[in-house]
Amino acid sequence: MSRRAPLALVLGAGAVLAPMPWLLSDFLLSLALSCLMYAGLAASWAMFSGATNYLSLATAAFFGLGAYVTAWGVAALPWPAVVAGGGLVAAAFAALVGAAILRVRGAYFAVLTFGLGELVRHAVTYGEKRYAGTVGRVLATAPSPATVYLTVLLIAVAAVGVAVLVRGSRFGRALAGIGADEERAETLGVDTRRVKVAGFALSAFFAGALGAGVAVRWTYIDPPAVFNPFIGFQTVLIAMVGGAGTVGGPVASAVVFSLFTEFLRLRFPYAYLIVLGVLLIALVLYLPGGIASLWERPGRRRAEAPSAEAAGG
Amino acid sequence: MSLWLDLAAGGLITGGIYAVVAIGLNLQYGLMRIMNISHGEFLMVGAYLAYFAYTGLGLNPLLALPGIAGTLFLLGLLVYRLCFRRIVRTAPGVEAIEARSLLVGFGLLFIVQNAAFVAWGADLRGYEFLAVPVDLAGARFGANRLVVFAFALAASLLLLVVLRFTLLGKAVRAVMQSPTGAHLVGIDTAVLHPVVFSVGLALAGVAGALLSMVYEISPSMGEPYTVTALIVITLGGLGSALGSLLGGLLLGLVETFGMHFTSPSLKMLLSYGVFVAVLLLRPRGLFAR
Repeated sequence: MSRRAPLALVLGAGAVLAPMPWLLSDFLLSLALSCLMYAGLAASWAMFSGATNYLSLATAAFFGLGAYVTAWGVAALPWPAVVAGGGLVAAAFAALVGAAILRVRGAYFAVLTFGLGELVRHAVTYGEKRYAGTVGRVLATAPSPATVYLTVLLIAVAAVGVAVLVRGSRFGRALAGIGADEERAETLGVDTRRVKVAGFALSAFFAGALGAGVAVRWTYIDPPAVFNPFIGFQTVLIAMVGGAGTVGGPVASAVVFSLFTEFLRLRFPYAYLIVLGVLLIALVLYLPGGIASLWERPGRRRAEAPSAEAAGG
Repeated sequence: MSLWLDLAAGGLITGGIYAVVAIGLNLQYGLMRIMNISHGEFLMVGAYLAYFAYTGLGLNPLLALPGIAGTLFLLGLLVYRLCFRRIVRTAPGVEAIEARSLLVGFGLLFIVQNAAFVAWGADLRGYEFLAVPVDLAGARFGANRLVVFAFALAASLLLLVVLRFTLLGKAVRAVMQSPTGAHLVGIDTAVLHPVVFSVGLALAGVAGALLSMVYEISPSMGEPYTVTALIVITLGGLGSALGSLLGGLLLGLVETFGMHFTSPSLKMLLSYGVFVAVLLLRPRGLFAR
């Protein structure tokens, strides 16, 4: 496949989806918005975590930061500045903490990033209560639904497009090299520290921008809603189920999951999560490469002999 | 003076529970690299079993402890067989085991927690057990809290003794040190893995039963304890049971004193702060040599 083809496909899909606000009913439009949001989140997550094997659960933190940038700024600033600001705040935060926490690998990194999300949530809750005297914020001014949809579409297309570009680039190879064997990548001249921080921040930018763009869907936001760890889990789940080493897999599974969620979650909230749990376990056990491994030949699978000694640590 | 004593005692009581929860998880992670994020859900199951034993059968929760531990041990064998055996056998490396078991743990968390919501509802439940004040060294404590602390400490120490002085404990420590070496001297991991995994769940169940004597219980009570257990393991060091005990007591003290001198709404902020700081400054645990 040529390198241009997937990119053209992404842009084409974006162009097809653009007139939807004038064609679809409100319900279907909100459904499309959910699909786009999770497609963007999962693609940007997979771009960093799928390539490097640093399993990040911090998506909720970046998403929530973006949403709060909207809450603080939507009344005072122009809309594009608010959305870009959400992305930049999340990216700056990711770069800052990434410099410290990207030294830790494995399950510790996952737990640390999860803790980070909770830390930010509690810090925002505490700060809002202490200095603003509020628990949540009402978003009185909001752009029209069509504007919101087009914003989210733009960010999602950008996220997927950038993921495609990164995969073919030197930067993307460096990320994948870190995932395969970090020490070897370093020996081959990759500045692993900078590459990791840059990748983490880039991925956070899209999560933050999506948070900022989607936040106006809710008229009232508070920390438990926008820093909901479930957003992070769902993103990871979608990306892993789709195949974290690919771009198409997460996007496809984002659409499937959003539809599944929308129809089942509201009607059978508990049963939905039980089914989700069973699906997750079954997929991890029997299809560890994700759905994408059904149609994509894993070109860069590691030929690694299972080392029993390494299992002891 | 009495204030300090009060705080210290309160912190140690909380810390004792943390230690029991953490030791089970630490054994699982230390031995098999299974980061079982659904650990707290099995704590919740233990709490509900104790609640039903007390309210339904009138059974003293302390007498129900062995039964609860046994039930969760069997449940552990089943969960290991269905979910984790395949991962440990087929994963290409340690990192794959960690990542996959983390995801499976999330799956289990969804299943167990929501099954509990369906079966038992979202209400807070509780029962009164030994809720009488006792004077001790000039301070007053609920008798149930003291009993909980004593049992938590006893369970932790018992496990330490088993690990230190029995053949089973020796085998567990051997596998932690060197899986290949342990294989060479004839230690059968096909038996050891499920047993240790299930002991972890049994400890979670015991902790939950103990907690149900003091606090109200609900299907979502488990998650915070999982996070706390992860913090304690980080404090105490991977695979170290003694470290988990000390780490648990330490975190209990930090939280209690911190909350008293700042504000209760900062509790989570404090424990996450400690967690992040320790992980970055002393990634191998406070007590690592």
